Amino acid sequence: MDTNPYFLPSYKGSKDFSQTDVPNANATGFCAASDDFAERGIDLNEQLIRNKPATFFMRVHSNAMIGAGIHDGDVVIVDRSIKPTNGKVVIAALNGEMLIRYYEIHNKKERLLPATRKLAPIEIDPFAQFEVWGVVTYVIHSV
Amino acid sequence: MKAIVDCNSFYCSCEQVFRPDLKGKPIVVLSNNDGCIISRNPEAKRLGIGQAGPFFKERPIIEEHNVTLFSSNYNLYGDMSRRVMEVLKLFVGEDNVEVYSVDEAFLDVDEFPLQQLHILSEEILHTIKQWTGIQTSIGIGPTKTLSKVANRLAKKHHEIANKIVILDTQEKVIAALQQTPVGDIWGIGRRYADKLLTLGVETAWDVRNLSEAWARQHLGGVVGVRMVKELRGEPALFMQEALTKKKMIATSRMFGEAVTQLADIKEAIATYAGRTAEKLRRQKSAASVASIFLVPQEKIESPHFQHGPTVSTYTILPQPTSLTHELIKAAVTMAVSIFQEGKKYKKAGVIVSGLVPDNAIQANLFEEGKSIGRFLMDMVDNINFSMRGDVVKFAASGVTRNWKMRQQQLSPRYTMRWEELCEVK
Repeated sequence: MDTNPYFLPSYKGSKDFSQTDVPNANATGFCAASDDFAERGIDLNEQLIRNKPATFFMRVHSNAMIGAGIHDGDVVIVDRSIKPTNGKVVIAALNGEMLIRYYEIHNKKERLLPATRKLAPIEIDPFAQFEVWGVVTYVIHSV
Repeated sequence: MKAIVDCNSFYCSCEQVFRPDLKGKPIVVLSNNDGCIISRNPEAKRLGIGQAGPFFKERPIIEEHNVTLFSSNYNLYGDMSRRVMEVLKLFVGEDNVEVYSVDEAFLDVDEFPLQQLHILSEEILHTIKQWTGIQTSIGIGPTKTLSKVANRLAKKHHEIANKIVILDTQEKVIAALQQTPVGDIWGIGRRYADKLLTLGVETAWDVRNLSEAWARQHLGGVVGVRMVKELRGEPALFMQEALTKKKMIATSRMFGEAVTQLADIKEAIATYAGRTAEKLRRQKSAASVASIFLVPQEKIESPHFQHGPTVSTYTILPQPTSLTHELIKAAVTMAVSIFQEGKKYKKAGVIVSGLVPDNAIQANLFEEGKSIGRFLMDMVDNINFSMRGDVVKFAASGVTRNWKMRQQQLSPRYTMRWEELCEVK
């Protein structure tokens, strides 16, 4: 039985593919013209994960970022290797709590901004236990 | 130069990455079955909680100081370890990393000029912390053993050394050796340490100055010679290739509660046999010898702490196999033969050895071909791996599982399971 490797549990993602793994039409008649244009299929790991050892998935349990299209129950992809800059959506650890907010820094003053009117922006007290845990790169939302 | 990178309180750190509320608070990780303490963070160490101690002994301190407990979550630790190792491979190249254990790796940094090693070390530590949240320390020396000496100092004096110690001059090597007690040298166990101390050999510097002939005679032959050479800065231990195929495979667990019924023992043995067969197939091996062991509970009433004698037996399989049902059959038969009514058991295990490649199994004239069994096993493995769990299993391995190990404080598998992701508000 010949199965495509991406259906097998040992599948490691398309980056480990060599060109010999690219599927051909395997036509028995006239060689399919499409074989000249064969490529590996689209792989979400390749599209959505830029830096594997630094990438984590997290589940959102609030509507704080609803205006940014991030809903309660969505999964976000978080990359810890990206530097947080103004306007990025980040995961922040503030006084022991994991929050998802817009990050803002002006004159060394940091703020966390929600994407909803129902919550207030948070000014980061310089003495608070605060750390940007990672930067959100994509959101996975089930429709 | 060789380097060793070592994660600080690794299991605890893995737990803390996802629990910012535990920052600066004492936590400990317990062994399988929640029996012993196997990892403590610095805050827990400061409370005086002992390493590798039985959990019940430390219970008073743990309760008094509200120490957070975790059952070991090897799923999470394995993934975090892989991330750390991947970062190291990015820095020095895949061929120059030897993963020594789940939280340690040797690096061959010969390609880097001496004066760049400090910057390289800083970059490595910073990147691992940034990308994975794990704090590491690094020791560099002319040999593996000296890198270990350096790493010990890096951890011990972390405030001054900033978790980096590089022994790049002869003076530094000498100073480091003089500060290292014999018991802390990599490769010297307690027995040799005691022996050396009675002979007046107190530090690594003293060991370095022993003659090779003496080391050969008194420090375990060639192993001792290598150690002395390594301490002198002459490499005698080289980077090792990863062990991709094991020569022996074992699966054993403590029971959650003492087990007295044969039915439970049979279930447990069948489960471990199933897991063992799976591991065999994963490395494309087949086993020719199967053995099992049962560990009775120690008698608590007796004045001396007594380990009940382990009972074990083995059988030579009619033909090397990696098929679950064949291994279960052999293992359960053995379990029945050594089980004793009225005894309480606390642990059991299955071990296979005499491993051969599974495509070169010597056919036995009196046995039928196994190709169908192998096809079935591949299907079962496929389903179990892709569904993540024992979805399809043999009935012999049980449905009640009274004996299952205790893991009361297990944290979510944050990085491996879609249903157990870390939650954010």
